[in-house]
Parts: sequence; structure tokens; C-alpha cells
Amino acid sequence: MKNILKSIVGCIAFCIAFSSCDKTVDEPITDAYIPASLDLGAGSWKTYILSSPTEVPIAEPKTASSAEYLAEIAALKTTISTITPENKKAIKYWGAGATYRWNEIARELSAKYNQPPASNSEGKYPVPDAANPLADPRFPFANPPYVSRALAYLSVAQYDALVSAWNYKTKYNRKAPSKNDAAVSVLLPVSDLPSYPSEDAVVAAASYTILVAMFPGEVPYLDGKLAEAKNTRLWAGMNVPSDISAGDALGKAVGAKVMAKAKTDGMAASNNQALTAGMIENAKKLGIKTPWASQETPARPPMLPNFGSVSTWNFDKAAMIKIRPSIPYLEDTKEFQDDIAELNKINKNQTREQSRIANFWADGPGSYTPPGHWHRTAANAAFDAKFSEVRMARTLALVGTALMDAGIACWDTKYYYYTPRPQQFGLKTSVGLPNFPSYTSGHSTFSSAAATVLGSIFPSKSAEFDAQALEASNSRVFGLIHYRIDCEMGLAHGKKIGDFAIARGKADGSGL
Amino acid sequence: MKLKFYLVLVGSFLGVQITKAQMPHDAIYMPKSTACLAVSYGSSSWKEYWENTLKRENLNIGTHTTQSVMPMIAAGITDKLNVIVGLPYVSTKASAGNLMGQKGLQDLSLWVKYKMFDDGGLSLHAIGGASTPVSDYVPDFLPMSIGLKSKTATGRLLANYQHKSGLYLTAHGSYSGRSKIKVDRDAYLANGKMYNTDEVALPNTTDAAIRIGYLKKAIQAEAFIERNACVSGDNIRRNDMPFPTNNMRMTIVGAYVKFQPKNIGLNARVNYVTNGLNVGQSFGYSVGLLFQINNLKF
Repeated sequence: MKNILKSIVGCIAFCIAFSSCDKTVDEPITDAYIPASLDLGAGSWKTYILSSPTEVPIAEPKTASSAEYLAEIAALKTTISTITPENKKAIKYWGAGATYRWNEIARELSAKYNQPPASNSEGKYPVPDAANPLADPRFPFANPPYVSRALAYLSVAQYDALVSAWNYKTKYNRKAPSKNDAAVSVLLPVSDLPSYPSEDAVVAAASYTILVAMFPGEVPYLDGKLAEAKNTRLWAGMNVPSDISAGDALGKAVGAKVMAKAKTDGMAASNNQALTAGMIENAKKLGIKTPWASQETPARPPMLPNFGSVSTWNFDKAAMIKIRPSIPYLEDTKEFQDDIAELNKINKNQTREQSRIANFWADGPGSYTPPGHWHRTAANAAFDAKFSEVRMARTLALVGTALMDAGIACWDTKYYYYTPRPQQFGLKTSVGLPNFPSYTSGHSTFSSAAATVLGSIFPSKSAEFDAQALEASNSRVFGLIHYRIDCEMGLAHGKKIGDFAIARGKADGSGL
Repeated sequence: MKLKFYLVLVGSFLGVQITKAQMPHDAIYMPKSTACLAVSYGSSSWKEYWENTLKRENLNIGTHTTQSVMPMIAAGITDKLNVIVGLPYVSTKASAGNLMGQKGLQDLSLWVKYKMFDDGGLSLHAIGGASTPVSDYVPDFLPMSIGLKSKTATGRLLANYQHKSGLYLTAHGSYSGRSKIKVDRDAYLANGKMYNTDEVALPNTTDAAIRIGYLKKAIQAEAFIERNACVSGDNIRRNDMPFPTNNMRMTIVGAYVKFQPKNIGLNARVNYVTNGLNVGQSFGYSVGLLFQINNLKF
């Protein structure tokens, strides 16, 4: 009997040991840094939406010797003395950088909302309703074009607001609290960057304004993030409240101007399904024998058929038509049969390396999509290079506008030619089939555009980014949802799109 | 004559065979220096599944089928201590849509069963098991993946009452720890949060079952009810595919028969999922060929 008890105790101990075993996963560590350069001249860099860095006025702050400022410093010391371990965790989180974190938050929201609506009992797919964002289906369906646009406006708002902030920082030149009073204890590294208005508050307010418009069901969540982002600057002794409130006002005003531009960019008409009949007619005239057809049951209307008419950032519509890829191989050509043969071979015997690549780059439903993937790559490269907030935002704005331009130009191409997916010729897929025409590959266009811009900003990593773009492009052949020609032409197209963003960056007064 | 284990290919977690359910869960032992080899074929299909609590079908999957072939060997180290090893080959397919079926060797499992107490027909057993994937299959292409690729360790207590008439009653409960897994992507959404890593933490699992049956001479027949449940985990999002972090739960009812008049025998099992969460409502069956080997030297 004793042995039985022993065994039972052993079993219970085993269970406890396993139930308490470590379930935390390792994620990259992101510590705060002093920027490699403060980019003090950024106040005159060219903005996207603001007509000038002073379009939104910010009042001159009280001087460091004023009674008001001294009272703020005294109150700040009290605030710092009462912070909790939870506050410290938040300080560490936001210390990685405001632009960096808000980009990450936007990617997370993109992933959460990246789910195609389910069909209802009548076999129809209800369209998400912005006025009722949490009903089923939720608004938005954050598909790749939607995410490319949300992240582009986010990055542009951050950049324009920061250029303006840098202008006021250098103009008013009010030092950081701890530089004015050494008795202010700080929990993050302090640079010589003037602290009025707070760059973190500027980014938080501008980002918040864009994100509540793009993800209207997330207002309570974003309220919490906004308050925390601003509070950590006080808890960490980095800013006084007047730095924060000036930054908040500037960020909100710039964000509102950027969103006003977004409202008129043509996105509202991007899902105009009435256009598809004419598009199919056009494709047939061009020689497309089997136009694209939804492979889902019930047939799902194609994703944003009119996204190609949305306003571009770095080139005009005439230039977009000029660089539109030429017609792909037609069905009865040998070249087309060769592309199909390559896919049939993979369909029969996909290697594990092929499926690995297809999975790594899939970025399908429930992910932040290829534009999110490349924003992450850009943010991490800028983080590793210890970029200032404004240079980080410039990087993301250049990459982000190139990605949105890539989405628009690629969607224009897709619906111009309206070509069939390989699944219309009996192929399976190991990654899931997107519900829109095949040619050209969105992944290839997005990836090539982003890699081209990143290669220009980080020349030493250019080959690495190009290799990633090529792998992302190949992944769509390996996953069996694109023909080789879709990917090759998408890559070439994306490079041209990226070059426009590079030209914009070369002319923005940064000298970078 | 005595068949010492059965091979269970229980219904599916959206097509994924539950490794721990492949282990023996009876009170029968191979005598010292004997072994039994079983080769079984199983098939399990579902058309409807629970997306979170919503029961639905999916016209782009149609009927999902998991098939498997599993060789398994049980050996008597002593009369009271048995070791059981199994390795299934699994394939999946969907009758509609365009998702590519997956196939391959799944997870090698090893079980040790020890009789702690046996008196007057009542016996108590401690069972420990472990499993590990033996091939580099893709675990997060659900519901087409052949498994979840986690290493597992299981502790189980089993009580059995065997009446002279041949009737018996078995009850058991288990807890399984599941290791983190690596996926091909380096970011994923789970538990309402974005993880920027290729590591995925899987929830641990529990199971419990009651079996009532008849065992005498060459014949065994049994009816059972089983409950398998993760101890935590998230739910399938609206209209999304499953993910390894899901809180998969199900109740299974079924029957098992075995006939082994000589060294060669046959067994068969049917099972049906009556309710669940984040799993398919599968109906499954398996049939097996059994070969007993005597006079083994260890």
C-alpha cells in the first residue's frame, strides 16, 4: 500500500511539474538607445501632407527658469518617486521608441483584423461596416491593400508630425528636464535633443488619430496605449507635462490633416464590384482565354477590384500606366505551359525547403500581410542602426508609401489583365489561395518595392534585402498560387516603384 | 493468447491524431518475455467542426479525412511492467477546396505501464509516456497538418476491476505536458496578441475515460466514453483556420472489439465525437492485425 501511495504522489508531482513548465516564448529584446545622430536639421525636411513644418502652430514654452517650469519639475519629481513596477515595465516597453512601437501596434491590429468575412446563409459575403466595426464581419477586413494604406498614412503622419516637432524643438530649444535639473532621476537614456514638444507625445497622438480611423473598433484599446505612451515619459523623468501636452496637440492636428487627405484618396470606391464585368471584357479583348474566377464556394467577390484607382504617393497615374507590366504569357503558348509544368512538378513533390519558404512568407489571413512584414523589417533595420525618431519615421514613410504605391499599381495590373490562378488548372496550394486575379504577384511587387527602398537607406544590407524579396517572390511559386512570370514581372515592377520613393527621399532635404 | 494493448486512433483534433490516445489504456499486460506486434489502419473524417463554440461546415474543405497506418509493439519486461512503442504514418485530405493534403511519419511514442496493485480483481496502474516527432512536418497548416509537432510527456493513473464473469470496468485520468514548437513563420497571432518569434507555446492537455467491457479467452468487447481537453489555449477566430495554440476539447464515445484465438488476431474500433471546442466532429474507425511473439530474450 505504501508503494501505491508513493506512486500516486509521484504521478501528482509529475503533473505539477508539467503544468508549471515554462510556456514563455523568446521574443527579440528591444532596449532604449541614444540615437546615432539627433538629426537636428530635420525641422526643414520636406513633409508629405503639411505645406510647411509650421503649418500647425505651437506656442513658445515657458523658460527653464520660469516659476511655471520649476513647478512642473517639482511635480515631476513627485511623480517619479511614486512609480510602480508596472509603470517601469511600461517605460521599458515604450523606451524602444515611439515610432517603432506604434508601427508594431498597427501591425498587430492589422493581423487581428485580417480575416475575410464568412458567407451567410444566403451564400453571400456581407461587407464589413465601418459604422459597426465589431459586428460580424468586423471592420476592417485588413487585407494587404488595406494594410499597405493604413501603415502608409500612419508612417506619413508620424513623419510629418516629427518634422514639425523637430522644427519647434530646435527653434525653442528647451532642454530635457534632467539637463535643467540634475536632481530629476531618469529611467531612460537622455540625449541632447530639446524636449519641447515631446517627440513621443507627437508620435503617440498622430498615430492614435490615424489608427482610430483605420481600426474604429479599437478605440478603448488605443485610448489605453495613448495614455500609457504619454505617461511613461513623465514616469521616466524624460518630459514635463507641458512637453507632453504640446506634443499631443501637434500630433493630433497633424494626424487629422493626414486623415483628411486619406478620406479623399479614392479608397471609398476601391470595392466597386460593378466594374468587374468591364474588366473581364477588357481582359478577353487582350487575349485572356480563361479570366480569373473565384475558387471559393460560394464564389467570393474579388478583393478591392478598384484599389488601382486610389491615389499614389510617389508618382502620378500617367507614370503608373507607363510602368504597368506588359501582358503575361497567354494560355496556349509554350511559355505558359512551361510555367504550369513547373507548378505541377511542385504540386506532385513539394520539398520541405519549398514549403518552409512558402510558409515563412505566406503572410495570409491572421497575419500583418506582406506590407506589415516589410514595415517590420524596416523598423528593425532602423532600430539596429539607432535611428532618431524622425529618421525612423522617414524610413518607414519612404518604405510605407512605396508599399502602398506597390499595392495600387499591382492591383491596377491584376484587374487590367484579370488572369486565372493556377488552381483554375487543377493545382492545390500549401498556403491558401488569395481571392483575386493572378498576374502580377502582390508579394513580389510589395517585396521588391520595399527592398529597393531599404537597400538605398541601408546600402550595406542591400543584397540581404534583395535576397529576401527574391525569396518572398519565389515563395508564391513554391506555395503554388502564382506562375513564375507573375513573380518575375512583379519583382521588376516593384523595383521601379521603389525607385520613385528613393527619388523622393533624395529630394527631401535630409541629405540622406 | 492475451492481447496486451490496443491501438487507438481516436477522432481528430481537426484531423490531427492525438498522440496520447495512441497509448494503451487498459489493465492487460504481456507476460514476461513476450511481445505483441500490431499493425493497424485508421480513418477519421469530419464535415462539421466547432469554430470556437460555433458548429459549422466549410464548403472550401468539404469532408476532411485523416488516414493512418501504425505499427506498434508491446513487450513484457516483467509480468507487471510493459513497454509499448508506436509510430504512425499519417495522411490528410480535403474533399473540396484547394488545400494541399499532407502526409508523413508523425510522432514516435514510448509508454511504460506498471501494475502497482492487484487484489481480488481490483488493480491500480501507473502509466508514463513520451512522444517526439520523427519527421519535419508542418504543424501550423491546420487542418491539413498531420500533427502538432510537440514533444509530449504524459502521466496517467488507471484503475480496473475485473469480474470472474469476464466483465470489467476501467477508469483513468491523465495529464500531458506539451513542449513549445517551432513554426516556419517568425510572427503569429495567438491569444489575441502578436508574437514576433517562431516559437509557439502549446497548452497542456488532460484526458479521462471510463470503459466497460467483457474480456474472456479470445474475445474482448468494450464500450467507452473519453474526454480530451486542453487546460488552456485560445479559440479559432471567426472564419479563421485552427492554430496549434487552440484550446481543443472533445468528448468521444466508441466501441472496441478484439478477437485473437491464436497468435494471430484482429481488432477494430469505432469512435464518434459528440461535442467539442475547436475540433472537428469526426467519426473514425480502425482495424488492426495482431501477432504475438513468445520467448523473447531481453
